[in-house]
Amino acid sequence: MRHSSAKPTEKQSAAGTVRTAEQIGSGMTRKEAMRIRMQHMQKSEIAYLRRKRLLEICWPVFRFLILFGLAFVILTPLLFMISYGFRDSADMTDPTIIWIPRHPTLRIMKQTIKAMGLTQRRNNPLLNTLFLNIGCSVCQVITCAVTGYGFARFRFKGRNLLFGIVILMILVPTQIISIPLYMTFRNFLFGHVNLIDNPLVMYLPAMTANGIRAGLMIFIFRQFFRGLPKELEDAAYLDGCGPLRTFVRVMVPNAGSSFLTVFLFSIVWYWNDYYVAGSFFSNKKTISMVLKNLDAVLNLAIFNSATAQISAREKIVWLEAGCLISITPMLLLYICLQKHFTEGIERSGLVG
Amino acid sequence: MKIPYERRKSLYGYGFISLWLVGTLLWFLIPLAESFCYCFMDNRLLKPSAGGLHKVWLPLANGEFLANFRYAFAADPYYKQYLLSVLKDTAVTTPMILIFSLFIAVILNQKFKGRGFVRAVFFLPVIIATGPVYHIISGNIAATGADSGAQFSTLFETDMVGKLLEFLGIMNISESVSDAVNTVTTNIFGLIWSSGIQILIFLAALQNIPPSAKEAAAMEGATGWEFFWKITLPYVSPMILANFIYTVIDAFTKTDNAVMARVLEKQQLDMDYGYAAAMSWSYFAIVMILVGIITVILNRFIFYEVE
Repeated sequence: MRHSSAKPTEKQSAAGTVRTAEQIGSGMTRKEAMRIRMQHMQKSEIAYLRRKRLLEICWPVFRFLILFGLAFVILTPLLFMISYGFRDSADMTDPTIIWIPRHPTLRIMKQTIKAMGLTQRRNNPLLNTLFLNIGCSVCQVITCAVTGYGFARFRFKGRNLLFGIVILMILVPTQIISIPLYMTFRNFLFGHVNLIDNPLVMYLPAMTANGIRAGLMIFIFRQFFRGLPKELEDAAYLDGCGPLRTFVRVMVPNAGSSFLTVFLFSIVWYWNDYYVAGSFFSNKKTISMVLKNLDAVLNLAIFNSATAQISAREKIVWLEAGCLISITPMLLLYICLQKHFTEGIERSGLVG
Repeated sequence: MKIPYERRKSLYGYGFISLWLVGTLLWFLIPLAESFCYCFMDNRLLKPSAGGLHKVWLPLANGEFLANFRYAFAADPYYKQYLLSVLKDTAVTTPMILIFSLFIAVILNQKFKGRGFVRAVFFLPVIIATGPVYHIISGNIAATGADSGAQFSTLFETDMVGKLLEFLGIMNISESVSDAVNTVTTNIFGLIWSSGIQILIFLAALQNIPPSAKEAAAMEGATGWEFFWKITLPYVSPMILANFIYTVIDAFTKTDNAVMARVLEKQQLDMDYGYAAAMSWSYFAIVMILVGIITVILNRFIFYEVE
C-alpha cells in the first residue's frame, strides 16, 4: 500500500476517476487487488517494485550468512581456548580430535594456574593486577573527568594549545617516552628515591590524569561535558554553587553512564597492558606480563624436568589454558555489563 | 578584592586542569623532549650508569649531528625494510578495516532478531584485542589448522580470489596488487579483530542520522542502495576521518608491528637508546606527515552539517 501512496504516477493523477483497490471494497483477494493496481502502473515502476521486493526477501538471508560467518570467526578463539584448555595433552597427538576432546580434564588448568603463580601467597600476579587495576582506574577516571570538564566548560588563555597537548598524548606511542620515563622513576626526586617496582609508578601518572590512554579519556569526557546544556551551569550559579560544587553536584550525576563506560574501558586497558607494567616492574608481575612470557613461565615450571618430553604441539594445551585463565575476569565483566560497553560509548558523546 | 565572574571562571578553568598539567609536564612533556634530545646524542656514550644516562651531544663528542638518523636509514639492516613493509601493510589494511567496519555497522544498525547477541559478539574483540592473548591464540590457531578465517573464506569464495589473482597475473598488473589481495584474504581474522572500536564509532554515527532525513528519503522512494550513498555516507563521513586516524594510530603504535619491535629490540636488548630514539622519531614523523596529508585530502570530501 505504501508504494502506491509514496509514488503517485502520472496516470493515476490524470485519470482521477479510476477507483483504487481500496475503494472497490474488500471482496477481492490481495492478489486481485494487486493486479488491478498493477494495471495502472508503468513498466519501470513495476520493475522497481519487483526489485525492492526481491531485495527484501534476499537481504535477510544474505545478512544472516554474513553475520553467522563473521561471528564464527570472532568466536573461534574463545571456543578454541575452551576446547584446548580443558583437554589432556595426549589429545593433541591424536589426529582424529579437532574440537571435542576425548579426555576432558581440569589437570592442565590446575597446573597452569599454579605455574602462573596465581596460588602463591606473596607477589601474586592476580592480586597485583587487581590492586593496580582498580586503584589506577578509579584515580584515572576521576582526574580525567575533572580535566575534561575544565577543557569543556571554561574559557582561559592557551586552552587550545593545551588541548593540542591532549591530542598529542593520544598520538604519541608510549614506546617513545618509555626510556626517559624509566630514568625519571629510577632517579625520582633527583636520584634520592628509586620507584622501580613500586606501585607508585602506575599510581602517580593515574592520579595526575596521565595513565594508560589518558588522552583518549580526557577527550571523551570533554566531548561529553560540552554536550550538556549551559542552563544547568547557570541555574547552579544562581543557586549559589561555585564551579567546583557545580561540577560535583550537577554535572557528575548527569554523567553516570559516561563514567561507567570510561571506567570499564580503563579497567580493560589496565588489565591488558603489559608494556607499561613490563617497563617499570621487574620483580612484580601482573597477569598480562605473565601471559606475555607464558612460554618461558611454563618452560620453567612444568616442562623443566628431565622426564617431561613435550612437543610444541602439546604445549598449546597449557598456553590456551593460560589465555583462558587470564581473560576470564574480563569476559565475565563483559558479559554482565555488555550493554554499558556497547551503548555507553554511543551515549558518552564520542561522536558529535 | 572582587574579581569579575568571567575572570574567576577562567581561573577555575586553570584549577580544573592543573592536576593534569602537572602530570603531563612530569610524565609526558619532559620525557618526550628528552627522548627527542636522545636523537642527537652520542649513542656509544648514551648508556645507563649510576646517576642516570650518560648524555653527550653528538657535535661535542666529535660526531656528526645526524649520525643516529644516518645509522637508522643507512646502516641498520632491518629498519628501512620494516618501515616500508609496515607502511604498505597499513596502506592496504586501513581502507579494508574502514569499509568492513562501516558495512558491519550498517548491518548492526538494522532491526532483526538476535541483534543484541550479534552486537555483543562483534564488540568482544574490543575487550581482548589489546592484550597479549590475541598474539598467542592466533599463533596457536594457525599451528593446529583450525583457522576460522581461512575456513570462512573458503565458505564463500570457492577460490574466487585465486582465480582473480590468476587473471591479474595474466594481465600483468604486477604482484603488488595480488599481494595486497592476498594479505587481506589470509588475514580476515586480524581484520575483524582489529575493527571493534571502529564499528562502535560508526554505529554511534549512524544512530545520529536525523530521522527526518530517513523519512524524506523514504518518501522519495529511495532504495537501500541509494539511501546508503546519498544519506548514510555523507552523514558518517566525519567519522570516517576519525576512524581513519584511529586505525592508523592503532596500527602504528602496536607493539607487535615490525618497526616498533625493532625499536624495542634496540632499546631493551642492545641498549642503543640513541639509535632507538632516532628510529622511533623518524617513524613517528613519517606517519604523522602521511596522516596529515591524507586528512587534508579527506577533509575536502567530508560533509559537515551546518548548524
